[in-house]
Amino acid sequence: MDFGQFLSYIASGTVYTVGVTLIALPAGLLIGTILALFYVYGGKAAARVMNLYSTIFRGIPPVVLLFILFFAVSKGINLSAFWAGSLSLGVVSSAYQMEIVRGALLSVSGDQLMAARAVGLSRMQAIRYVVLPQAVRLAIPPWSNEAAIVIKDSSLVYALGVPEILRRAQLIGASSQQYLLAYLSAAVIYFLLVSLTTRMLNHLEQKLSIPSNP
Amino acid sequence: MKKYLMLAVALILVGAMLVGCVSESTSVLDKIQKAKKVSVGTSADYPPYEYLDDAGNKTGFDIELMEEIAKRMGVELEWVDMPFDSLVAAVAGGKLDISISCFNYDEERDKIVDFSEAYYTTEDAFVVTSAFAGTISAPEDVANYKVGVQSGTVQDGWLTDNLVSAGLLPEANLSRYERVDQAALDLANGRIEVLMGDYVPIQALVTQNPDLQVVYRGVLSTGPINIVLPDGDTALKAEVDRIIKELQAEGFIDQLALKYFSE
Amino acid sequence: MPKPILTIKNLTKTYGQNVIFQNLDLTVNEGDTIVIIGPSGTGKSTLLRCVNLLTRPNEGQIWLDDLEITAKGTDEDQVRQHIGMVFQNFLLFNHLTALGNVKLGLTRVKHLSDEEATEKALHELSRVGLADRADHYPGQLSGGQQQRVGIARALAMDPRVMLFDEPTSALDPELIGEVLEVMRKLALDGMTMLVVTHEMGFAREVADRIVFMEKGYIVEEGSPDEMFNHPKFDRTREFLWKITELYGKKEKEAE
Repeated sequence: MDFGQFLSYIASGTVYTVGVTLIALPAGLLIGTILALFYVYGGKAAARVMNLYSTIFRGIPPVVLLFILFFAVSKGINLSAFWAGSLSLGVVSSAYQMEIVRGALLSVSGDQLMAARAVGLSRMQAIRYVVLPQAVRLAIPPWSNEAAIVIKDSSLVYALGVPEILRRAQLIGASSQQYLLAYLSAAVIYFLLVSLTTRMLNHLEQKLSIPSNP
Repeated sequence: MKKYLMLAVALILVGAMLVGCVSESTSVLDKIQKAKKVSVGTSADYPPYEYLDDAGNKTGFDIELMEEIAKRMGVELEWVDMPFDSLVAAVAGGKLDISISCFNYDEERDKIVDFSEAYYTTEDAFVVTSAFAGTISAPEDVANYKVGVQSGTVQDGWLTDNLVSAGLLPEANLSRYERVDQAALDLANGRIEVLMGDYVPIQALVTQNPDLQVVYRGVLSTGPINIVLPDGDTALKAEVDRIIKELQAEGFIDQLALKYFSE
Repeated sequence: MPKPILTIKNLTKTYGQNVIFQNLDLTVNEGDTIVIIGPSGTGKSTLLRCVNLLTRPNEGQIWLDDLEITAKGTDEDQVRQHIGMVFQNFLLFNHLTALGNVKLGLTRVKHLSDEEATEKALHELSRVGLADRADHYPGQLSGGQQQRVGIARALAMDPRVMLFDEPTSALDPELIGEVLEVMRKLALDGMTMLVVTHEMGFAREVADRIVFMEKGYIVEEGSPDEMFNHPKFDRTREFLWKITELYGKKEKEAE
């Protein structure tokens, strides 16, 4: 087996890595944002529930959730390993993303909400049109961090037999006994994925930044 | 990872009991025969039992054996690659019909799955580098060194039960690895002094790396290897056992061993 | 016969044991400019926020025209549309341009089309002399310009009454004049205004009535002439003397 075959075998796992990330990250963002809004604006009871959610899902190792969803929950609904893995990681990520969005919401001064209410906007409108757009901008840098974590955590779905980058590196490493090379190749691919994502998000952050100083 | 897995399996069993959704009435064998397809899990990172050939296809002792078994059952074989630690849970959870991956009988595993009759008997081995200056005349002597082992294997169990629990080997001196190759890397760079493993893959390691040598070989933990089957499914077990006996009688398994283990 | 737009009766606001103001009565007639003066911490800003329902009073009633807005079940959002508010710290929406700031209420509250809202917003911006800054973000504007956008934002809703909460206190002295000028013009145009400020020049020249508040009570109210030239109470005289000393010079520089 030559090096080209070797690398292309591992790299073909990228489809799964990217696929898992593209499901887990937006799912986590959607759930996380909704929960963060409840956390910040939903009153004390909601905040307590959200805090519990955050504590539970940040406390469980992602791989445990993966097993539970794949082996237990999916018994009835016959979820594939790919989807079980992606959704589990999405749920785990939602707890972290909730904290990110919550922090961003709290960083937008309460006065902004008050000013919006003074114009006649309802609370929901004020949050949607005034607080959220500013919070999104504040959330991008920590979110970029979370995106990198989800890309790397996507390797956990190998435990369910999804042939992503890490699993492929293991398999080809075992058959060729070239473990170091296999893992180096995997590391290079992960590095490229993460740095590409980070650069894209940096670009987005700059594009969305609010102009200041005349 | 093993303890997470046990946690997950425990949760599954509790959940199954609560819901009562485990139907004992139909055998997996019926399902296999109806679908004309058997879904078999293996962890294809354990040469020469199961690994990928140069073309990226699964091959090895277990692979070829299982393909013959499926052929004799008259069904198509669908391979599912999964890490070793997940295979038992996948059979217990109904995600796979069967798992074959150089499994040894194990009481803990027997609680949630069944084992077929043994299709082969393997041995254990200790391997060291040429830099090793100690002596190992009896298996217990490894307790004096830094030992590595694949986590969750029967070798791990043997070391833990016979050396660590007996106070001979300090827990800190036992390194558990997810896979043998990781342990081999640490053996090469001196982080561990002795590696314990299944004789056949250890021999394969030694052939790849002339700097390694086997200092002990014998049946310690590893006895016979078996196929993992769903718990309490007597019909499927009877069918698989029947074919294994047939293959042993025909000398098919001995030929496979010769082909893959060069013995 | 003057028509009252804002009527405040027996208004009381407390935070726990802390009484901000008590049994306050005040009437603002159509077209009037009322200036509230007094030492800081006497509840002037809280009073404005009560009028705008940003803070709920503990007791008492407020009427906007004939509607009692402190009544239970009042649609606060509906009420606030008709009451413009200008804040000490401007509180422009940081992520929107000057135009965007003025348009937001028009599109989201008044449901004007984008075109109509833009036209109206540009009109309001030109009223405060900032049509050429429509595309600038708050961070690109001076304090005085930001406050003028804040005024345009409130005006765009065509409010019945405008509340000004120390609109020039956060400004550098050289920027105060442009804001006061806009307010003066508004008053002359007949806008009903309730203004909390320390700008005595503005109060003297523009106010129809001056209200002196201290420690949660209205001490005295009257026309600028009455208040500045023959106040009934020594406390009023004392405060006005002090404040003119403190702010008088700054005002001259600014104007």
